[in-house]
Amino acid sequence: MSMNKNVTIVDYGSGNLWSVLSALEFLGARPVISSKPADVLKAETILLPGVGCFRLAMESLIQKNLDDAIKEVVMIKQRKILGICLGFQMLADSSSEDGMTAGLGLIPAPVEVFGAQELKGRKLPHIGFNQVKLPNSSALFDGFTGAEDFYFVHSYRLLSQTLPGKRATCNYGVDFLAAYENKNVYGVQFHPEKSQTNGLRLLKNFLSV
Amino acid sequence: MLSRNFRLQKVGTIDWLHKNYNFSHIAFYIDELIVLDVSRSERNIERFTNVLKTLAKGCFAPIAAGGGIRKLSDARQLLRSGADKVVLNSALFDDPKFVTELAQEFGQQCVVGSIDIKRGDDENYHIFTHNGMNLMHEQVGDLLGQLPEKSIGELYLNSINQDGTGQGYDLKLLDLIPQKLNFPTILAGGAGHSGHLVNGLLDERVDAVATAHLFNFVGDGLKKARDSVRLQDVDLAKWPPLSELGQISL
Repeated sequence: MSMNKNVTIVDYGSGNLWSVLSALEFLGARPVISSKPADVLKAETILLPGVGCFRLAMESLIQKNLDDAIKEVVMIKQRKILGICLGFQMLADSSSEDGMTAGLGLIPAPVEVFGAQELKGRKLPHIGFNQVKLPNSSALFDGFTGAEDFYFVHSYRLLSQTLPGKRATCNYGVDFLAAYENKNVYGVQFHPEKSQTNGLRLLKNFLSV
Repeated sequence: MLSRNFRLQKVGTIDWLHKNYNFSHIAFYIDELIVLDVSRSERNIERFTNVLKTLAKGCFAPIAAGGGIRKLSDARQLLRSGADKVVLNSALFDDPKFVTELAQEFGQQCVVGSIDIKRGDDENYHIFTHNGMNLMHEQVGDLLGQLPEKSIGELYLNSINQDGTGQGYDLKLLDLIPQKLNFPTILAGGAGHSGHLVNGLLDERVDAVATAHLFNFVGDGLKKARDSVRLQDVDLAKWPPLSELGQISL
Protein backbone atom coordinates (compact mmCIF):
# COMPACT_ATOMS: atom_id res chain seq x y z
CA MET A 1 0.00 0.00 0.00
CA SER A 2 1.51 3.35 -0.95
CA MET A 3 1.44 5.90 1.81
CA ASN A 4 1.30 9.64 1.57
CA LYS A 5 2.81 11.04 4.69
CA ASN A 6 2.99 14.67 3.66
CA VAL A 7 -0.37 16.36 4.05
CA THR A 8 -1.04 20.06 3.61
CA ILE A 9 -3.91 21.34 5.73
CA VAL A 10 -5.30 24.48 4.14
CA ASP A 11 -5.70 27.28 6.69
CA TYR A 12 -8.07 30.02 5.57
CA GLY A 13 -8.79 31.30 9.07
CA SER A 14 -11.62 29.06 10.19
CA GLY A 15 -11.95 25.49 11.24
CA ASN A 16 -10.69 23.33 14.05
CA LEU A 17 -7.18 22.86 12.72
CA TRP A 18 -5.74 21.49 15.94
CA SER A 19 -7.98 18.42 15.93
CA VAL A 20 -7.31 17.62 12.28
CA LEU A 21 -3.59 18.07 12.86
CA SER A 22 -3.67 15.82 15.94
CA ALA A 23 -5.53 13.05 14.13
CA LEU A 24 -3.11 13.06 11.19
CA GLU A 25 -0.10 13.05 13.52
CA PHE A 26 -1.65 10.20 15.50
CA LEU A 27 -1.76 8.23 12.23
CA GLY A 28 1.93 8.86 11.66
CA ALA A 29 1.51 11.39 8.85
CA ARG A 30 3.49 14.63 8.59
CA PRO A 31 0.84 17.32 8.34
CA VAL A 32 1.67 20.97 7.79
CA ILE A 33 -0.77 23.84 8.15
CA SER A 34 -0.44 26.53 5.52
CA SER A 35 -2.31 29.52 4.13
CA LYS A 36 0.17 30.02 1.26
CA PRO A 37 -0.85 29.17 -2.34
CA ALA A 38 2.75 28.13 -3.10
CA ASP A 39 2.58 25.42 -0.41
CA VAL A 40 -0.75 24.17 -1.72
CA LEU A 41 0.59 24.00 -5.28
CA LYS A 42 3.41 21.68 -4.27
CA ALA A 43 1.32 19.61 -1.85
CA GLU A 44 1.18 15.83 -2.24
CA THR A 45 -2.10 15.52 -0.39
CA ILE A 46 -4.52 18.31 0.51
CA LEU A 47 -6.93 18.49 3.39
CA LEU A 48 -9.57 21.24 3.41
CA PRO A 49 -11.16 21.46 6.87
CA GLY A 50 -13.91 23.80 7.87
CA VAL A 51 -16.38 24.99 10.41
CA GLY A 52 -18.39 28.13 9.85
CA CYS A 53 -20.16 30.02 7.10
CA PHE A 54 -19.73 29.08 3.40
CA ARG A 55 -19.70 32.64 2.04
CA LEU A 56 -17.14 33.94 4.53
CA ALA A 57 -14.94 30.87 4.07
CA MET A 58 -14.97 31.20 0.24
CA GLU A 59 -14.22 34.92 0.49
CA SER A 60 -11.28 34.13 2.72
CA LEU A 61 -9.98 31.44 0.30
CA ILE A 62 -10.23 33.86 -2.63
CA GLN A 63 -8.64 36.71 -0.73
CA LYS A 64 -5.63 34.49 0.05
CA ASN A 65 -5.49 33.25 -3.61
CA LEU A 66 -6.01 29.74 -2.27
CA ASP A 67 -8.97 28.97 -4.54
CA ASP A 68 -6.95 28.88 -7.78
CA ALA A 69 -4.11 27.00 -6.07
CA ILE A 70 -6.50 24.27 -4.90
CA LYS A 71 -8.17 23.97 -8.31
CA GLU A 72 -4.81 23.73 -10.07
CA VAL A 73 -3.27 21.16 -7.75
CA VAL A 74 -6.40 18.99 -7.85
CA MET A 75 -7.47 19.32 -11.52
CA ILE A 76 -4.11 19.66 -13.28
CA LYS A 77 -1.63 17.98 -10.95
CA GLN A 78 -4.27 15.41 -9.94
CA ARG A 79 -3.32 15.46 -6.26
CA LYS A 80 -5.90 14.04 -3.91
CA ILE A 81 -7.99 16.27 -1.70
CA LEU A 82 -10.28 15.57 1.24
CA GLY A 83 -12.85 18.20 2.19
CA ILE A 84 -14.27 17.96 5.71
CA CYS A 85 -17.72 19.37 6.59
CA LEU A 86 -17.69 22.97 5.30
CA GLY A 87 -14.51 22.04 3.42
CA PHE A 88 -16.52 19.33 1.59
CA GLN A 89 -19.24 21.82 0.76
CA MET A 90 -16.64 24.26 -0.60
CA LEU A 91 -15.60 21.62 -3.16
CA ALA A 92 -19.11 21.88 -4.65
CA ASP A 93 -20.42 24.30 -7.28
CA SER A 94 -22.26 26.72 -5.03
CA SER A 95 -24.08 27.22 -1.75
CA SER A 96 -27.18 29.16 -0.81
CA GLU A 97 -25.84 29.85 2.70
CA ASP A 98 -25.96 33.59 3.41
CA GLY A 99 -26.70 34.45 -0.24
CA MET A 100 -25.72 32.42 -3.32
CA THR A 101 -21.95 31.92 -3.41
CA ALA A 102 -19.81 30.00 -5.92
CA GLY A 103 -17.66 27.16 -4.58
CA LEU A 104 -14.52 25.53 -5.99
CA GLY A 105 -16.52 23.55 -8.55
CA LEU A 106 -14.66 20.26 -8.06
CA ILE A 107 -17.90 18.40 -7.32
CA PRO A 108 -20.82 19.21 -9.65
CA ALA A 109 -23.50 19.75 -7.01
CA PRO A 110 -25.19 22.63 -5.22
CA VAL A 111 -25.25 22.99 -1.42
CA GLU A 112 -28.61 23.62 0.23
CA VAL A 113 -30.00 23.86 3.73
CA PHE A 114 -32.24 21.00 4.92
CA GLY A 115 -35.86 21.85 4.17
CA ALA A 116 -38.33 22.14 7.05
CA GLN A 117 -40.53 19.42 5.51
CA GLU A 118 -37.58 17.06 4.98
CA LEU A 119 -36.56 17.37 8.64
CA LYS A 120 -39.96 16.10 9.86
CA GLY A 121 -39.65 17.98 13.15
CA ARG A 122 -35.92 17.49 13.67
CA LYS A 123 -33.89 20.49 14.69
CA LEU A 124 -31.04 22.23 12.89
CA PRO A 125 -28.13 22.03 13.09
CA HIS A 126 -27.86 18.26 12.80
CA ILE A 127 -25.46 17.52 15.70
CA GLY A 128 -24.10 14.26 17.04
CA PHE A 129 -23.09 10.78 16.00
CA ASN A 130 -25.28 9.36 13.24
CA GLN A 131 -25.15 6.23 11.16
CA VAL A 132 -23.63 6.42 7.68
CA LYS A 133 -24.59 3.85 5.05
CA LEU A 134 -21.49 2.94 3.12
CA PRO A 135 -21.02 2.22 -0.58
CA ASN A 136 -19.59 -1.10 -1.74
CA SER A 137 -15.90 -1.22 -2.65
CA SER A 138 -15.00 2.29 -1.64
CA ALA A 139 -11.43 3.42 -0.98
CA LEU A 140 -12.46 5.81 1.77
CA PHE A 141 -14.49 3.16 3.61
CA ASP A 142 -12.13 0.23 3.09
CA GLY A 143 -12.39 -2.15 6.05
CA PHE A 144 -15.81 -0.86 7.13
CA THR A 145 -18.91 -2.96 6.79
CA GLY A 146 -22.44 -1.77 6.06
CA ALA A 147 -23.09 1.19 8.31
CA GLU A 148 -20.93 3.06 10.82
CA ASP A 149 -21.32 5.98 13.24
CA PHE A 150 -19.71 9.33 12.51
CA TYR A 151 -19.98 12.74 14.21
CA PHE A 152 -21.90 15.48 12.38
CA VAL A 153 -22.39 19.22 12.95
CA HIS A 154 -24.11 20.94 10.01
CA SER A 155 -27.27 22.51 8.62
CA TYR A 156 -26.41 22.36 4.90
CA ARG A 157 -25.57 19.44 2.64
CA LEU A 158 -24.65 18.66 -0.97
CA LEU A 159 -27.56 17.72 -3.22
CA SER A 160 -26.39 14.61 -4.94
CA GLN A 161 -28.97 13.21 -7.39
CA THR A 162 -26.78 13.09 -10.47
CA LEU A 163 -23.23 12.84 -9.18
CA PRO A 164 -20.64 10.50 -10.69
CA GLY A 165 -18.46 8.58 -8.23
CA LYS A 166 -19.22 6.77 -5.00
CA ARG A 167 -21.54 7.98 -2.30
CA ALA A 168 -22.28 7.26 1.33
CA THR A 169 -25.56 8.46 2.78
CA CYS A 170 -26.94 9.36 6.18
CA ASN A 171 -30.52 10.01 7.22
CA TYR A 172 -31.74 13.06 9.10
CA GLY A 173 -35.40 13.04 8.22
CA VAL A 174 -34.23 12.70 4.64
CA ASP A 175 -31.29 10.83 3.09
CA PHE A 176 -28.36 13.12 2.38
CA LEU A 177 -24.82 12.85 1.04
CA ALA A 178 -22.53 11.98 3.96
CA ALA A 179 -19.39 11.13 1.99
CA TYR A 180 -18.22 11.15 -1.59
CA GLU A 181 -15.30 9.98 -3.67
CA ASN A 182 -14.57 10.42 -7.34
CA LYS A 183 -11.04 9.85 -8.64
CA ASN A 184 -8.84 12.17 -6.58
CA VAL A 185 -11.66 14.21 -5.02
CA TYR A 186 -12.93 13.08 -1.60
CA GLY A 187 -15.32 14.73 0.80
CA VAL A 188 -17.09 13.95 4.07
CA GLN A 189 -19.93 15.90 5.65
CA PHE A 190 -19.08 14.51 9.09
CA HIS A 191 -15.93 15.15 11.15
CA PRO A 192 -13.58 12.14 10.98
CA GLU A 193 -11.24 13.88 13.43
CA LYS A 194 -14.10 13.77 15.96
CA SER A 195 -15.45 10.31 15.13
CA GLN A 196 -13.21 8.17 17.32
CA THR A 197 -11.66 5.08 15.70
CA ASN A 198 -14.15 5.16 12.79
CA GLY A 199 -12.79 8.56 11.81
CA LEU A 200 -9.17 7.56 12.30
CA ARG A 201 -9.69 4.56 10.03
CA LEU A 202 -11.28 6.72 7.36
CA LEU A 203 -8.42 9.25 7.49
CA LYS A 204 -5.93 6.40 7.30
CA ASN A 205 -7.79 5.07 4.25
CA PHE A 206 -7.64 8.48 2.60
CA LEU A 207 -3.91 8.79 3.23
CA SER A 208 -3.37 5.26 1.93
CA VAL A 209 -5.26 5.64 -1.38
CA MET B 1 -7.05 18.35 37.09
CA LEU B 2 -9.75 17.93 39.70
CA SER B 3 -11.59 14.82 40.69
CA ARG B 4 -15.08 14.93 42.06
CA ASN B 5 -14.56 11.83 44.12
CA PHE B 6 -16.82 12.72 47.06
CA ARG B 7 -15.59 16.28 47.10
CA LEU B 8 -13.82 18.54 44.70
CA GLN B 9 -10.19 17.76 45.22
CA LYS B 10 -7.00 18.46 43.45
CA VAL B 11 -5.66 15.23 41.99
CA GLY B 12 -2.91 16.19 39.62
CA THR B 13 -1.82 17.81 36.43
CA ILE B 14 -2.57 16.78 32.90
CA ASP B 15 0.55 14.58 32.92
CA TRP B 16 -0.74 12.89 36.03
CA LEU B 17 -4.02 12.14 34.25
CA HIS B 18 -2.24 10.57 31.30
CA LYS B 19 0.12 8.58 33.46
CA ASN B 20 -2.24 7.27 36.13
CA TYR B 21 -5.47 6.97 34.24
CA ASN B 22 -4.16 6.36 30.75
CA PHE B 23 -6.44 9.11 29.53
CA SER B 24 -5.64 8.58 25.86
CA HIS B 25 -7.10 5.06 26.25
CA ILE B 26 -10.15 6.23 28.22
CA ALA B 27 -10.82 8.91 25.63
CA PHE B 28 -11.80 6.20 23.15
CA TYR B 29 -14.86 5.31 25.26
CA ILE B 30 -16.54 8.70 25.47
CA ASP B 31 -18.93 10.40 23.05
CA GLU B 32 -17.79 13.82 24.08
CA LEU B 33 -15.30 15.43 26.48
CA ILE B 34 -16.13 18.42 28.68
CA VAL B 35 -13.15 20.34 30.02
CA LEU B 36 -13.76 23.07 32.58
CA ASP B 37 -11.33 25.55 34.06
CA VAL B 38 -12.56 25.75 37.65
CA SER B 39 -9.78 28.00 38.93
CA ARG B 40 -11.10 30.23 41.66
CA SER B 41 -8.20 32.62 41.41
CA GLU B 42 -7.55 34.63 38.26
CA ARG B 43 -7.90 32.51 35.15
CA ASN B 44 -5.23 32.33 32.51
CA ILE B 45 -6.54 31.50 29.05
CA GLU B 46 -3.04 30.71 27.69
CA ARG B 47 -2.44 28.15 30.40
CA PHE B 48 -5.89 26.63 29.94
CA THR B 49 -5.62 26.36 26.15
CA ASN B 50 -2.26 24.64 26.56
CA VAL B 51 -3.86 22.01 28.81
CA LEU B 52 -6.72 21.72 26.32
CA LYS B 53 -4.33 21.19 23.41
CA THR B 54 -2.56 18.41 25.28
CA LEU B 55 -5.88 16.72 26.08
CA ALA B 56 -7.21 17.18 22.54
CA LYS B 57 -4.07 15.64 21.09
CA GLY B 58 -5.23 12.15 22.01
CA CYS B 59 -8.98 12.65 22.03
CA PHE B 60 -10.82 12.11 18.75
CA ALA B 61 -14.28 13.02 20.00
CA PRO B 62 -16.06 16.37 20.22
CA ILE B 63 -14.77 18.60 23.00
CA ALA B 64 -16.66 21.28 24.91
CA ALA B 65 -14.48 23.64 26.95
CA GLY B 66 -15.08 26.59 29.21
CA GLY B 67 -14.84 28.19 32.58
CA GLY B 68 -14.84 31.96 32.96
CA ILE B 69 -15.11 32.66 29.23
CA ARG B 70 -16.19 36.31 28.74
CA LYS B 71 -14.58 37.37 25.47
CA LEU B 72 -14.94 36.27 21.85
CA SER B 73 -11.15 36.19 21.57
CA ASP B 74 -10.93 33.70 24.45
CA ALA B 75 -13.64 31.55 22.87
CA ARG B 76 -11.79 31.63 19.56
CA GLN B 77 -8.61 30.46 21.30
CA LEU B 78 -10.47 27.47 22.76
CA LEU B 79 -11.93 26.63 19.35
CA ARG B 80 -8.47 26.73 17.77
CA SER B 81 -7.08 24.47 20.48
CA GLY B 82 -9.26 21.43 19.93
CA ALA B 83 -12.61 22.57 21.37
CA ASP B 84 -15.76 22.35 19.26
CA LYS B 85 -18.07 24.02 21.74
CA VAL B 86 -17.73 26.68 24.42
CA VAL B 87 -19.32 26.14 27.83
CA LEU B 88 -20.84 29.23 29.46
CA ASN B 89 -22.17 29.44 32.99
CA SER B 90 -22.25 32.80 34.80
CA ALA B 91 -22.28 34.75 31.52
CA LEU B 92 -25.63 33.12 30.60
CA PHE B 93 -27.30 35.32 33.20
CA ASP B 94 -25.11 38.39 33.60
CA ASP B 95 -23.99 38.91 29.99
CA PRO B 96 -26.68 37.62 27.57
CA LYS B 97 -25.31 39.94 24.87
CA PHE B 98 -22.05 37.96 24.91
CA VAL B 99 -24.01 34.70 24.58
CA THR B 100 -25.73 36.07 21.48
CA GLU B 101 -22.46 37.33 20.00
CA LEU B 102 -20.80 33.98 20.55
CA ALA B 103 -23.63 32.20 18.72
CA GLN B 104 -23.56 34.73 15.87
CA GLU B 105 -19.83 34.29 15.43
CA PHE B 106 -19.51 30.51 15.79
CA GLY B 107 -23.05 29.18 15.53
CA GLN B 108 -25.68 28.14 18.06
CA GLN B 109 -24.31 24.57 18.15
CA CYS B 110 -21.11 26.00 19.60
CA VAL B 111 -22.69 27.28 22.83
CA VAL B 112 -23.30 24.97 25.78
CA GLY B 113 -25.28 26.51 28.63
CA SER B 114 -24.02 25.10 31.93
CA ILE B 115 -26.40 25.48 34.87
CA ASP B 116 -25.43 24.67 38.46
CA ILE B 117 -28.51 23.98 40.59
CA LYS B 118 -28.66 23.45 44.34
CA ARG B 119 -31.51 22.06 46.42
CA GLY B 120 -31.90 24.03 49.63
CA ASP B 121 -32.88 22.69 53.06
CA ASP B 122 -36.46 23.74 52.24
CA GLU B 123 -36.34 21.44 49.14
CA ASN B 124 -36.51 24.49 46.87
CA TYR B 125 -34.06 24.60 43.97
CA HIS B 126 -31.89 27.56 43.08
CA ILE B 127 -29.38 28.36 40.35
CA PHE B 128 -25.89 29.30 41.48
CA THR B 129 -23.30 31.05 39.30
CA HIS B 130 -19.65 32.04 39.73
CA ASN B 131 -18.31 28.61 40.68
CA GLY B 132 -21.37 27.91 42.78
CA MET B 133 -20.74 30.96 44.98
CA ASN B 134 -23.52 33.26 43.79
CA LEU B 135 -27.16 32.44 44.59
CA MET B 136 -29.75 33.55 42.01
CA HIS B 137 -32.95 34.44 43.83
CA GLU B 138 -35.41 34.06 40.93
CA GLN B 139 -37.18 30.74 40.28
CA VAL B 140 -35.12 28.25 38.27
CA GLY B 141 -37.86 27.90 35.63
CA ASP B 142 -38.13 31.66 35.18
CA LEU B 143 -34.37 32.04 34.78
CA LEU B 144 -34.18 29.18 32.27
CA GLY B 145 -37.12 30.69 30.38
CA GLN B 146 -35.19 33.95 30.01
CA LEU B 147 -32.18 32.31 28.34
CA PRO B 148 -31.51 33.41 24.75
CA GLU B 149 -32.95 30.24 23.21
CA LYS B 150 -31.64 30.77 19.70
CA SER B 151 -28.10 31.32 20.94
CA ILE B 152 -27.71 28.13 22.95
CA GLY B 153 -27.17 24.68 21.45
CA GLU B 154 -27.60 22.53 24.53
CA LEU B 155 -28.00 22.62 28.30
CA TYR B 156 -25.64 21.03 30.82
CA LEU B 157 -27.58 20.62 34.08
CA ASN B 158 -25.47 19.94 37.15
CA SER B 159 -26.72 19.17 40.64
CA ILE B 160 -24.45 20.84 43.19
CA ASN B 161 -25.87 18.56 45.91
CA GLN B 162 -25.18 15.34 44.04
CA ASP B 163 -21.94 16.40 42.41
CA GLY B 164 -19.07 14.29 43.73
CA THR B 165 -21.25 12.07 45.92
CA GLY B 166 -21.47 9.11 43.59
CA GLN B 167 -25.07 8.68 44.79
CA GLY B 168 -26.77 9.15 41.41
CA TYR B 169 -28.25 11.99 39.40
CA ASP B 170 -31.02 14.26 40.64
CA LEU B 171 -33.69 13.63 37.99
CA LYS B 172 -35.88 16.28 39.59
CA LEU B 173 -33.69 18.90 37.93
CA LEU B 174 -35.45 17.98 34.71
CA ASP B 175 -38.82 18.99 36.16
CA LEU B 176 -37.47 22.52 36.51
CA ILE B 177 -37.07 23.04 32.75
CA PRO B 178 -40.03 24.95 31.29
CA GLN B 179 -42.06 22.84 28.84
CA LYS B 180 -41.63 25.32 26.01
CA LEU B 181 -37.85 24.92 26.02
CA ASN B 182 -36.55 22.26 23.71
CA PHE B 183 -32.80 22.15 24.38
CA PRO B 184 -30.87 18.91 24.06
CA THR B 185 -29.97 18.25 27.72
CA ILE B 186 -26.88 16.76 29.35
CA LEU B 187 -27.42 15.62 32.94
CA ALA B 188 -24.48 15.89 35.34
CA GLY B 189 -23.61 15.52 38.97
CA GLY B 190 -23.73 12.35 41.02
CA ALA B 191 -22.98 9.39 38.76
CA GLY B 192 -21.11 6.77 40.75
CA HIS B 193 -21.61 3.67 38.60
CA SER B 194 -23.03 2.62 35.26
CA GLY B 195 -26.51 2.07 36.72
CA HIS B 196 -26.69 5.78 37.36
CA LEU B 197 -25.77 6.50 33.75
CA VAL B 198 -28.61 4.21 32.66
CA ASN B 199 -31.09 5.90 35.02
CA GLY B 200 -30.27 9.23 33.45
CA LEU B 201 -30.36 8.03 29.86
CA LEU B 202 -33.68 6.20 30.27
CA ASP B 203 -35.40 9.52 31.11
CA GLU B 204 -36.71 10.75 27.79
CA ARG B 205 -35.85 14.35 28.65
CA VAL B 206 -32.16 13.45 28.85
CA ASP B 207 -30.04 13.39 25.70
CA ALA B 208 -26.70 12.64 27.35
CA VAL B 209 -25.20 11.99 30.76
CA ALA B 210 -21.90 13.28 32.07
CA THR B 211 -19.58 11.89 34.69
CA ALA B 212 -16.44 13.20 36.35
CA HIS B 213 -16.35 10.41 38.89
CA LEU B 214 -12.98 8.70 38.94
CA PHE B 215 -14.65 5.35 39.54
CA ASN B 216 -15.76 5.49 35.92
CA PHE B 217 -12.24 6.04 34.72
CA VAL B 218 -10.35 3.32 36.54
CA GLY B 219 -9.14 0.59 34.21
CA ASP B 220 -11.92 -0.51 31.87
CA GLY B 221 -14.62 1.24 33.93
CA LEU B 222 -15.86 3.42 31.13
CA LYS B 223 -15.77 0.65 28.53
CA LYS B 224 -17.80 -1.60 30.85
CA ALA B 225 -20.21 1.24 31.59
CA ARG B 226 -20.80 1.70 27.85
CA ASP B 227 -21.43 -2.02 27.44
CA SER B 228 -23.91 -2.17 30.31
CA VAL B 229 -25.74 0.95 29.12
CA ARG B 230 -26.14 -0.65 25.72
CA LEU B 231 -27.68 -3.74 27.32
CA GLN B 232 -30.54 -1.48 28.45
CA ASP B 233 -31.44 -0.72 24.83
CA VAL B 234 -29.97 2.76 25.01
CA ASP B 235 -28.72 3.69 21.56
CA LEU B 236 -25.06 4.64 21.85
CA ALA B 237 -22.70 5.34 18.98
CA LYS B 238 -20.37 2.45 18.14
CA TRP B 239 -16.80 2.30 16.98
CA PRO B 240 -14.20 -0.46 17.20
CA PRO B 241 -11.38 -0.46 19.77
CA LEU B 242 -8.14 1.06 18.60
CA SER B 243 -6.51 -2.38 18.46
CA GLU B 244 -8.83 -3.36 15.60
CA LEU B 245 -7.51 -0.62 13.37
CA GLY B 246 -4.39 -2.67 12.75
CA GLN B 247 -1.10 -0.96 12.08
CA ILE B 248 -1.99 2.63 12.80
CA SER B 249 1.24 4.29 11.80
CA LEU B 250 1.68 4.87 8.09
